[in-house]
Amino acid sequence: MKKKISKEKIVMSITIGIASLALMLVMFMQFKVVEQTDITGIENMRESDLRVELTDWQTKYEELNERYQEVVAKIEEYQNEKESGEETAQLLETELAQLNMILGKTEVEGEGIEIIIQDNEGAQLSEDTTVKAITEEDLLIILQELWGAGAEAISINGKRIIAMSDVVSLEYFLKVNGDRITSPYVIRAIGNQSYLESSVRGKGGHADELEELGHTVTIEKNRRVKIDKYEGEITTKYIK
Amino acid sequence: MIVIAILIGCIIGAVIGMNSPVIPYTYSIFLAIAVVAALDSVFGGITSVLKKNFDLTIFISGFFCNSILSIALTYLGQKLNLDIYLAALVVFVGRMFTNLTIIRRHYIEKWTNKREKEEVKE
Repeated sequence: MKKKISKEKIVMSITIGIASLALMLVMFMQFKVVEQTDITGIENMRESDLRVELTDWQTKYEELNERYQEVVAKIEEYQNEKESGEETAQLLETELAQLNMILGKTEVEGEGIEIIIQDNEGAQLSEDTTVKAITEEDLLIILQELWGAGAEAISINGKRIIAMSDVVSLEYFLKVNGDRITSPYVIRAIGNQSYLESSVRGKGGHADELEELGHTVTIEKNRRVKIDKYEGEITTKYIK
Repeated sequence: MIVIAILIGCIIGAVIGMNSPVIPYTYSIFLAIAVVAALDSVFGGITSVLKKNFDLTIFISGFFCNSILSIALTYLGQKLNLDIYLAALVVFVGRMFTNLTIIRRHYIEKWTNKREKEEVKE
């Protein structure tokens, strides 16, 4: 009887021991899993959490995408602006260069003629009033003729003639752009060579008239006439 | 002897559990529900011991069957997209509290009786 009871007890002990073993095993396994798992890791998330996360990311993605598009559009705009700006700048630059050339602020070169007028030296010294020295009028007439023949740039003794240039005469010498010049007068003009030449020579050209008065006029055609830039400063005071 | 068996079982189980490989987090819910079911059975067993109607077969069968059944229910819940394990959890934890109350009352009554007897003796 005693033995039977102890046997039952042994069976009971073993069974309960196994049961408690199983319980503890599972519990500690679970503890370990919970402890070691990173809940924020995507592979460990529950479906509902994942869904929330996914929508979250989707919204974020959409927002960022929108901003990205905006930025791309802006970049494109800037690019366009830059290109058009460059174009404008180039246009302006060429225009500026051309205007400077026409204004006389740059040295120019081109085909044209060179007129050298040698004053009649005898006339300058003589008291005979019928023979006159070269006056500013002569030069102005020649300038008119040259402009009329389509001259693009003219200089007298290296002084560039611009819109505001003055050619005046003082007692014994002439003044161009405020600088004194003397004979020989070298007039350089850029333009069509034959037009320019024919404008001063023949059919009432002033060069012929000057020659009749005893001055020496030589005209040289040149493929490369070089005309210096205007040396003074172009200032305006009244133009507004 | 039974106490020794329980202690040995607990220690061995804890050691093995601590050295076991980590199972995926997705499946850990099955283990958790099994643990709760087993704990419920344990408290039920203690209650029955106190009530002196403890039966080893009923205890062991309840211990394992409840665990397996709860795991099966949880699995079914996952397949049905319904959190059945919550219902199982409510039942198990509720029963655990009921059993705990019974155990607590039993011991308090025992203690009170003892004191009353001692007072009477004095």
